[in-house]
Amino acid sequence: MIAYAANLATIVAIFAILAATLNFIVGYAGIFSVAHAVFFGLGAYAGAQVALLLIPDPLLACLAGAVVAGGLSLCLALPALRVRGEYFVAASMGLQMMAVTLFSEAKPLTGGIGGLVNIPRPTLFGVEVSVLPLALVALALILLATALLQRGAFGRTLQALRDAESAAEALGKNVAAAKTLAMAFACAGAGIGGALFALHLSFVNVESFTMDQSVLVMAMVIIGGTGTLWGPLVGAIILLSLPSGLAFIPFIPPTEVGAVQQIVYGLAMTLLMIFRPAGLVGDLSKGRATA
Amino acid sequence: MTTEVLRTENLSRSFGGVQAVAGVSLTLHAGAVTALVGPNGAGKTTTFNLITGNLRADSGTAAIRGKPIMGLKPWQVARLGVARSFQDLRLFTHMTVRENVLAATETASWFWQPGGSTARRAREARADAALEATGLSALARARAIDLAYAERKFLSMARILAAEADIWLLDEPASGLDLASRTRFGQLLKDAQARGVAICLIEHNLDVVVELSNRIAFLDQGKVLAEGDPDAILKDPALAAIYFGDRPQEAA
Amino acid sequence: MLFLQLLLQGLQTGALYALTAAGFALIFGATRIFHFAHGATFAIAGYVFLYFWNAGQPWPGALAAIAAAVVFGLGMERFVYRPIQRHEGSFFTVFVAAFGVAVVVQNLIGMIAGRGFASVDTPLSMANEVLPDVFLAPIFWIAIAVAIVLFVALSAFLTRTHAGVGLRALAQNPDLLRAYGLSSNRLSMLAFALGSAMAAPAAILTAMTTGLNEAVGHHVMLISMAATIVGGVGSLRGAALAGLMLGVAESVALQFVDTQWAEGVSFLVLFAFIIFRPSGIFGVAQTR
Repeated sequence: MIAYAANLATIVAIFAILAATLNFIVGYAGIFSVAHAVFFGLGAYAGAQVALLLIPDPLLACLAGAVVAGGLSLCLALPALRVRGEYFVAASMGLQMMAVTLFSEAKPLTGGIGGLVNIPRPTLFGVEVSVLPLALVALALILLATALLQRGAFGRTLQALRDAESAAEALGKNVAAAKTLAMAFACAGAGIGGALFALHLSFVNVESFTMDQSVLVMAMVIIGGTGTLWGPLVGAIILLSLPSGLAFIPFIPPTEVGAVQQIVYGLAMTLLMIFRPAGLVGDLSKGRATA
Repeated sequence: MTTEVLRTENLSRSFGGVQAVAGVSLTLHAGAVTALVGPNGAGKTTTFNLITGNLRADSGTAAIRGKPIMGLKPWQVARLGVARSFQDLRLFTHMTVRENVLAATETASWFWQPGGSTARRAREARADAALEATGLSALARARAIDLAYAERKFLSMARILAAEADIWLLDEPASGLDLASRTRFGQLLKDAQARGVAICLIEHNLDVVVELSNRIAFLDQGKVLAEGDPDAILKDPALAAIYFGDRPQEAA
Repeated sequence: MLFLQLLLQGLQTGALYALTAAGFALIFGATRIFHFAHGATFAIAGYVFLYFWNAGQPWPGALAAIAAAVVFGLGMERFVYRPIQRHEGSFFTVFVAAFGVAVVVQNLIGMIAGRGFASVDTPLSMANEVLPDVFLAPIFWIAIAVAIVLFVALSAFLTRTHAGVGLRALAQNPDLLRAYGLSSNRLSMLAFALGSAMAAPAAILTAMTTGLNEAVGHHVMLISMAATIVGGVGSLRGAALAGLMLGVAESVALQFVDTQWAEGVSFLVLFAFIIFRPSGIFGVAQTR
């Protein structure tokens, strides 16, 4: 039971990192990416390779995950500089689908469909550690960083370019640089989440980095409330407790729990948009992404 | 006259065969207000867009204090001291009034602004002063989207004030303002003028033009037809005929 | 001859892409609603047809598929998009709401019809050698013919009828509609009905050729969006042409890469357009 709770807590912390970083670009910069799982995956593969080939040092794995995901975020920053709204959704969706193919085919790097297995347990200074405390620390740091950035000048810059890009530029803001930076930050955070995920499961494959996963993270952000600090955390907790909650409902066959979970949050997203577009945590007066 | 700060020469731009701006040469001086006057479609806003880098000129040059600015991006032009307002305001709608103005004081696009807390306090002071000057202090915490029309116009001016630019390009800043607001707006311009800001103003209301401007450039069909003293220009019957639209419509 | 084979196959795929994409573009062009659940429409139509086919009722199945697509499209318009647009209607809210529905539909299909590929066996998709080393199934001609007939009918409708002209004016000039005495609500429903119906034949033919799976909606959406953007937003002809082009490009690329990369070709085309020509082939520059 404790092991179960610890596992769930680790997964919640990792997904809260994903949701918080996605919220950063969706809620503040109005960049609507449906490819966040790609950067989660890049971080996971990078972290796993570090542990497999070098040493299972979680800090190094997180660093590698952050650098690879943050660096490759340029793939997504490029279209974000050119287009917005619907166009960008199309580009990010294309990137997501393309990345799944790449992950499945680049066997030397990702292990293909089978994935990377037998990732060693993380050790810090020679002592084997569990991922849970690491994930909690990482989550705390990322929440702190996003809170500082969101409330400070950078957050204002992102909101300004979300609301009126040309006016932001006319006030001397280098919109391209700010967007690229925001993207790199968010994707690097997702990469850290990925590295922790790989170390936690000691096994990763492409299944975890699909469109469905991007949708799940998006749902966490939206159900929690975009543009809020705690919304993504709340969203992650709600959506990840859902399967265990559903498991107690007798008439749902165990094989269908995943599908029922997706139906529940799909429905929740639609109903929220119709009746309460700011999400559960968000108050209706602030921080709406109007792309 | 005083120091010349911005000069354009022969700026031209056409859109699919329509010559929107056809060789506009304009000079702005520190501490002077130049009004761009002319019928709709004369190329006034396009001229602004060519100066600020929002549009590329087909030909011609523009320079700020001798430094050529053609080909620069809008934010680069802004950092040379040019602030502009938009006819449709383009406020940061979902941010508060104070955040709108603070954003105007923060130009670095990095994660944080240079100068630490001293500079931050200076920026905040500047923003608060701009709110004070535009009479928006009481609304500092309201969202821009919830403001009344005149308040929005003043917020747009507050951003420009806080940006500390010395060249202002204002696109119909006084349109739709009631008399009291217009007087307050006039005072803003006069204060800025006294500080040596070079102002260029697109304005349709000729009373406002006469009251506020030192010079008029009269545009029609992308060309500067006349430039000079407001009284002289506005008394010219030929220009008045064009402005009030009773010339024969050769190209409707 | 491989090239010719791939080209013809590409035309067949492209014809289906063109139909689906044109439906999406019709809805987007007329209502400015980014109908992200268009892929779900396609999936629903395809699976309804499969159900009837397995019950031995192909023709009622085709009609039921079209009906299901139209009902779903109208339902989205009436119960999802219209309430949202009444109070806010930003791109963000519309997109997320549609996205949620797409997720629900995908999983419901998975639960009801089972996961994995499903297709129908028909002699129509049996290939015959028409030229040395070039094989074509009768379905190729059906796909091309259906596409041509539907496009001719659609363009006649849009240019010749009162409602069609109104549909084209809906996005550009709502005032004109009032002058003509047309209701924008009605026209919006018409756009959804027509656009959704366009997806049904493509879904049926896809079920008869490559088959369907519950996640087919994602692929359909990517193609529809790519074709709409590449063709130029607002241009139906552009979307159809781009759909055709993407189908051909995906197929011809198989001469050089393995099948799993075919989708990547569409993505690369989309990406290149977004970066170098966001206004698309026939579009006017209006992004940013």
